Amino acid sequence: MNLIALRMLMRDRGKYVALVAGLAFATLLLAQQGSIFLGLLIRATGPLQNVAQPDLWVTDPFTRYVLEFRPMSDRDLQRVRAVPGVAWAEPFFSSRTPVELPDGSFKTAQLIGIPRSTLIGQPPVITQGRIEDLRAPDAVFVDESSRPRLADVQIGQTLKLNDRRAIVVGFCRVKLGFESNAVIYTTYDNAIRFTPVGRENIPFILVKAQDGLDPKELAAQITERTGLGAFTRKEMRDRTIDFILGETGIGINFGITVLLGFVVGLAVVTAIFYQFTLENLRYFAVLKAMGTRSRTLVRMVLLQAVVVGFIGFGIGIGGVGAFSLLGRQPGAELTPYFPWQLLLLALVAILLCIFLGSLLSLRKVIALEPGIVFK
Amino acid sequence: MSHPPANHPILAGPHGQSTAGPLAVRLKGVSRTFGEGKTAVHALRGIDLEVPQGELVMLVGPSGCGKTTLVSIISGVLDSDAGVAEVFGRDWRTLSNDERAIRRQDLVGFVFQQFNLIPTLTVIENVSVPLLIRGVKERDAHERSALALARVGLGDRFDSFPSQLSGGMQQRVAIARAVVGTPRLIVCDEPTAALDAKRGQDVMEIIHEASRLDGSHNGSPTGSPPGRCVIVVTHDSRIFHYADRIVEMDDGRLKETVSRHILEEARHVPTYRDDADEQAK
Repeated sequence: MNLIALRMLMRDRGKYVALVAGLAFATLLLAQQGSIFLGLLIRATGPLQNVAQPDLWVTDPFTRYVLEFRPMSDRDLQRVRAVPGVAWAEPFFSSRTPVELPDGSFKTAQLIGIPRSTLIGQPPVITQGRIEDLRAPDAVFVDESSRPRLADVQIGQTLKLNDRRAIVVGFCRVKLGFESNAVIYTTYDNAIRFTPVGRENIPFILVKAQDGLDPKELAAQITERTGLGAFTRKEMRDRTIDFILGETGIGINFGITVLLGFVVGLAVVTAIFYQFTLENLRYFAVLKAMGTRSRTLVRMVLLQAVVVGFIGFGIGIGGVGAFSLLGRQPGAELTPYFPWQLLLLALVAILLCIFLGSLLSLRKVIALEPGIVFK
Repeated sequence: MSHPPANHPILAGPHGQSTAGPLAVRLKGVSRTFGEGKTAVHALRGIDLEVPQGELVMLVGPSGCGKTTLVSIISGVLDSDAGVAEVFGRDWRTLSNDERAIRRQDLVGFVFQQFNLIPTLTVIENVSVPLLIRGVKERDAHERSALALARVGLGDRFDSFPSQLSGGMQQRVAIARAVVGTPRLIVCDEPTAALDAKRGQDVMEIIHEASRLDGSHNGSPTGSPPGRCVIVVTHDSRIFHYADRIVEMDDGRLKETVSRHILEEARHVPTYRDDADEQAK
């Protein structure tokens, strides 16, 4: 009977294609928008991912995002260094700054400042030049994927940052941030010269715990002794994501799109599947008259629903996969992130979709009187 | 097509009884009403009818007289409100839905006016359906269906879809589907109504032949007479000569019944064969 169910489904080409297309589209909307949303959240934590060495990020207790901070003073840096258990503590600068291009236009860049002596917080991958050259006067490293935004700047060329001269001495590869700005690395001293932020000018202090000391314990010590916020990288990442979700509209916007995908999928599946069942109701009645039990008919309808569900889901996920591959290009504006949990969630949503969509059909089939075959 | 009048000689005879072999169908006081109150329609009013195995019975009468309701109850797809509706010794009303389904699988074959072939299945797949419902493997079902199709003259159209066949061919497929499971009871609802004279003739020949084949494969007691019980609902007087017995209904009641030997003497009623002969001349 399963074969009969599948033949009834797949040989009704028009409805079969419409069902599969509807579910594929719903899957695409759900999963692709979901992956972009997650990708954006992950991307927002890019500046954190670029810094691997420290155990803790120390900052104002109310700072939630790398580019939204209240600066600290040099005195705060010294107080942190004085906390027992701190192996080292280094300033880390991060701020937006305008970059003037040769044609007179400008781009906003994210300027990262790292300590000249230790270079703690340096870019994870150097693609051209030597990181030590950053210690030269006015030297900057530029992220490879940011070069097109900065008029394809070359080593040795000069950029104007906030009307101050900066010389490109190398290129690096880093994860971009939420705002997709060009990323430029320089020393901490240069950074506060390029982007003055006032009397207090340390956005973050990167802290390493002494060997054997639990970073969380150290974080509690720092907070107790200095009144500053001390966060592990995971905590800082969570604060960043909370900030993006709470302070921007992307959560709601993507949520609406995902919900729309679900509703569209549900509406398409319900309408077409119900129509499909109605048109086959007479034949279901014939099967029932010939001795097919109601539960067999229910199984047939569910099989039809699940098959179109999985095929539509597969095609939709294939589309999302192709989209994700495109998004993996360096510097791509959209960086979808597609964990298995999202795949599972999309599958559950689609299965829910087809289950709800087939409920009406099931009701009709269960209540079907075989006597209608004689009408 | 002309209908015999109520007092037509072929319709004269005792009510609803047969003196032939073991009973396939026994109805006693069967009633069925649709709706309630003033709008209630009394489709059947205390029907008594006995049909032995191996007999081809035609139910005739005007539209709305209850023929289809009666055949629905006999085939177990509709419940009666009152009375006994026994098929091969079991009253449908005493069975659960599952038991009824299994009994219909085993005992009943259907031929419908509009054929009711599943349009997305090929001819051989359509014919295999009753066997697949019983759990027969598809390969075996197709082998048996091929034989049934060959018997109705469609041995070369296995892979056609119903829409690629003429009405007569579709009805022959439906008959093959009805007999493939060797049911002991075949119910036919206006099997020739959608067909022209020649095709109607062909279809009735096949149904008539099916009624003469041994229907004892499905649990008929040893020693039972060969032949299936066939009940045909029809308006078509040109096929009356195929009947062993004709039962006329009117307003939910059995009105008259006439047996084969009287039919033999009533050959003046025009038949499909007469029509065909006329056309040939």
